[in-house]
Amino acid sequence: MRHVKWAVVVGLVALAVGALQAQQLSGEYKIGILEPLTGPLAAEGKRHLEGYEIVRDLINERGGVMGKKLVFAVGDAVDPTVAASEATRLATREGVKIITGTFSSTLCGAASEAASRQNVIYWETSCVDPRFTRRGLRNVFRTEIDGTGFGWYNVEFIAKHLSHRLGKKPNELRVAFLSEDSSYGQSVTESARQRAKQEFGMQEVAAEYYTFTTNDLTPVILKLKNANPDVLHHIARNQDAILFWRQAREQNFQVKAVVHAGATGYGSPDFGKAFGNDGNGPFALLEPGPGVIIDKFRPEGQRIERAFRDAVKAKTGSDIPAGGHQLAGGGLWLLKLVLDAAKTDDLDKFRAAVMAMDMPVGSSINGWGVKFDETGQNSNARVQHYMLQWQGGQLVTVWPEEFTTNRAKWIPLGPWDQRK
Amino acid sequence: MRSTWPAVTFFAAAALGPIVVRDAFLLDGLILILLWGATAASWNVAGGYAGQVSLGHAAFFGLGAYSAALLGTRWAVSPWIGLLVGAGLATGFGFILGFLSNRLRGPYFVLATIAFSQVLLIVASRWRGFTSGSEGIPVPFRPGFWTLGIADKRAWVYLVLVLAALLYLVQLYLERSRRGYQLAAVREDEDAALSLGVPARRLKVAAIAASAALTAACGTLWAQYVGFVDPYYVFSVDLSVRFCLAAILGGIGTPLGPFLGAALITILETSLRARFGGIGAGLVGIYLIIYGVVLIVTMRFAPQGLLPWIAEHRRRRAPLGTTA
Amino acid sequence: MDAIPQLLASTILLGGIYALIAVGLTLIFGVMRVVNFAHGEFLMLGMYLAFWAFTLLGMDPYVTLVLGLPVIFGGGWLSYRLVMRPVIHASHNVQIFTTVGLSIALQAVALVLWSADSQFVRTGYYAVVVRFLGVALNLAQIAAFAVAVLFTAALFAFMRWSYTGKVMRATAQDRHAAALMGIDTGRVFALTWAVGITCVGVAGVVLAPIYPVYPSIGLQFVLIAYVAVVLGGLGDMFGALIASLVVAGVEVGGSYVIGTAWKEVLYLLLFITILVIRPAGLFGQRGAEVIGT
Repeated sequence: MRHVKWAVVVGLVALAVGALQAQQLSGEYKIGILEPLTGPLAAEGKRHLEGYEIVRDLINERGGVMGKKLVFAVGDAVDPTVAASEATRLATREGVKIITGTFSSTLCGAASEAASRQNVIYWETSCVDPRFTRRGLRNVFRTEIDGTGFGWYNVEFIAKHLSHRLGKKPNELRVAFLSEDSSYGQSVTESARQRAKQEFGMQEVAAEYYTFTTNDLTPVILKLKNANPDVLHHIARNQDAILFWRQAREQNFQVKAVVHAGATGYGSPDFGKAFGNDGNGPFALLEPGPGVIIDKFRPEGQRIERAFRDAVKAKTGSDIPAGGHQLAGGGLWLLKLVLDAAKTDDLDKFRAAVMAMDMPVGSSINGWGVKFDETGQNSNARVQHYMLQWQGGQLVTVWPEEFTTNRAKWIPLGPWDQRK
Repeated sequence: MRSTWPAVTFFAAAALGPIVVRDAFLLDGLILILLWGATAASWNVAGGYAGQVSLGHAAFFGLGAYSAALLGTRWAVSPWIGLLVGAGLATGFGFILGFLSNRLRGPYFVLATIAFSQVLLIVASRWRGFTSGSEGIPVPFRPGFWTLGIADKRAWVYLVLVLAALLYLVQLYLERSRRGYQLAAVREDEDAALSLGVPARRLKVAAIAASAALTAACGTLWAQYVGFVDPYYVFSVDLSVRFCLAAILGGIGTPLGPFLGAALITILETSLRARFGGIGAGLVGIYLIIYGVVLIVTMRFAPQGLLPWIAEHRRRRAPLGTTA
Repeated sequence: MDAIPQLLASTILLGGIYALIAVGLTLIFGVMRVVNFAHGEFLMLGMYLAFWAFTLLGMDPYVTLVLGLPVIFGGGWLSYRLVMRPVIHASHNVQIFTTVGLSIALQAVALVLWSADSQFVRTGYYAVVVRFLGVALNLAQIAAFAVAVLFTAALFAFMRWSYTGKVMRATAQDRHAAALMGIDTGRVFALTWAVGITCVGVAGVVLAPIYPVYPSIGLQFVLIAYVAVVLGGLGDMFGALIASLVVAGVEVGGSYVIGTAWKEVLYLLLFITILVIRPAGLFGQRGAEVIGT
């Protein structure tokens, strides 16, 4: 009998708690999530989805969106055709008014096109194709910087951080540009080349593209040796970064710094797994990694960043969120802020709320701030990015220096066996 | 003579689709079935009827997609003209491949077609100044029929239905006309056909060129429908395999086969994706395993595809004296 | 000018790798008249074999090479029994699509089991370089080249002088006549397939300390191996070795002279040209390309 009584009490309490929560969040608000979850891009797509889920739970613990509980309808975007189909499905079948996604540049173009034909807001959190926001589509927004932004940051780092440490003025620096020839590689490299030349007058001594499935990069390395650059700006995917690094070492290619951008290549954990301490030295532009000082964020930014990191640790067991978590999660949090301000998903009012947002660096997850331009692109200067360096077999944050406890090492890189 | 009523039913059902169904997602599925079916049928003209199996047909698809997208973005030319230009270019390249097919048989021809599509892929992804390189081309949406800026899915159904029906008729012609019989003779035994005075070489070249042009037309419509042209997708070997897969699964060298195959694949793919969508399951790519196995099993037990296989089984089961 | 010795050395080492993949391909192509589109996937499986033996058992890839031989051969035999035997007398197209299906399935299995991440076997000697005359040669690549030459020579000798080899050549020339002479062509095909797969599996094992492995790695090697096979002439081991060196030379030289971006076009055009002008390959007999039907 006692047991039954207790069970009744527990049941009532549970009901009461449930009712309370239901009171706090009246009803559900559904948005569409579009990521590649099968096929060759799936590994990264699933990381993004995980990031969305983590931040969705954070959002629901903090009042949901527009007073409602945020829920997802998930679509699987394997290739451009399917991405468009799934965007249509989310808009019509699931009746969502907002779709967010899709980390790959080959997918976001087709998906957002389909979304705009259904009059659905497309809230992009990664895909770096610069033309994504330049098609005159009013329903398209992007929280992450685009490929030109990556190039902008890399050149900023080379000009303002590396050049005087290498004892040269920016216009005396000899820079070589090497890149795999995907959409990502081309857009980052071209914008970096342009800014390096026009704004800083750096000397471009080589510019070369290759396919990431190339089997031998020795000829490229020989050419680079002849060009004798101070800095190598190298955008790579995973396997070619590994091949290049091994063969560069074999050929004893001595460059003073290697700078990369993004979560592939030198920015991927695969690189560290492949080389351990032998991979020390190269830089990769990413979201904040180990060593970042969260105390330097603004108070509201500190709170949400810490909650985000705790949630990532609870879900994955890792102290450091992966890049996919950070891009997706950071973008979704900004969507909550916009929706709370707009109080509606009506495109005109939503757009007005987006344009009105003005938050300084350090206000949100990843230490991001917000200022969208007319095309729907968040600004380079507000979406703070960080330079990480391989040190001791690990990527650690080294720049901007006011945000980190670590300092960049090996400038210039020096001999291959002395980077321990 | 094989009956055409299954095809009539199929196309009539497709035509009724937009009237009965309002759900944009189902209509989207129908459009893709018709579009992939039409592409597989275009492949079938060369691969099935002329016996020239190509694993490089994505090259033509890509030519069609790129022609319209480039003309549209660079010079604001109507995609209908882009379609014609793409088809024209594809015809030209089709003639070259056709010429090759007269020198190369079996595996050699297959390898040549793959190499050909790879060359186009490299040109499209490296020639930055003209094609925008790897970044691909977003197809601008300009409302109107002349610009193919149609948001209404029902209109798209009828648009691709016209193309699909046209391809069905082309195949029916190849099955029943004198030219078609000659082509069949060439496919079965080229030397014998030659000795009977059949212009084998010219027929093969013509079939491949026609197949190329039709594939390009499908590519143009696809690009306008999906709205983004990515070189690594439109010129990929995977896409080429997909075209033949539909034709082979449904029934190689039959007019309705490619459409049946495309329907099966699209439905299978969509439902498997929904079922094994990889959310937490850790089973990413499991539908590709099923794909591969289905292909192997089909080759083993029904190498001519499902339609001929069904027809054969019905014949076997039918009692003596009746016709199937 | 100073680059020429290094470019030559790179050509030879890269050519060795291509040759190792091409010999198995050309054997299967020559005897069975099957274009094996799943060849690259067996390369990938060989690399994963070496990777897991290294990661789980701490086994050096060259130990795996010896101990893994029966495993690879057995796997090849099994894949023949399960997949190829039922279609061995079917048309080219049926065979081609069977191997395409096998390729799709194997790649997807690897993706499900091991994810799309790049894995690398970092042996203690992965960065050991032999230097002389200003040329740097990676030790593992020298080993791969040696294995390639060894395997090509062994296969060549086997095909030329052993009884089984003669039987295989007889089957290659005319399978019907061979069957009439009392040759069990079914067993010949099984053996051919298994030996061909063993070659490419071994290639995978020796490539593991050189290249990172991931599920779709097969394609980037096998497309080039096809060029070498056609260039060298159908079923010609020695031709495949020479052609592999030629293709590697075009790749390395083209990469250095006209730029990496366009080097693939060079060997693809070379491939198409050879197909058009001399379909039987540089060293093959004319007309050999049409006896396959």
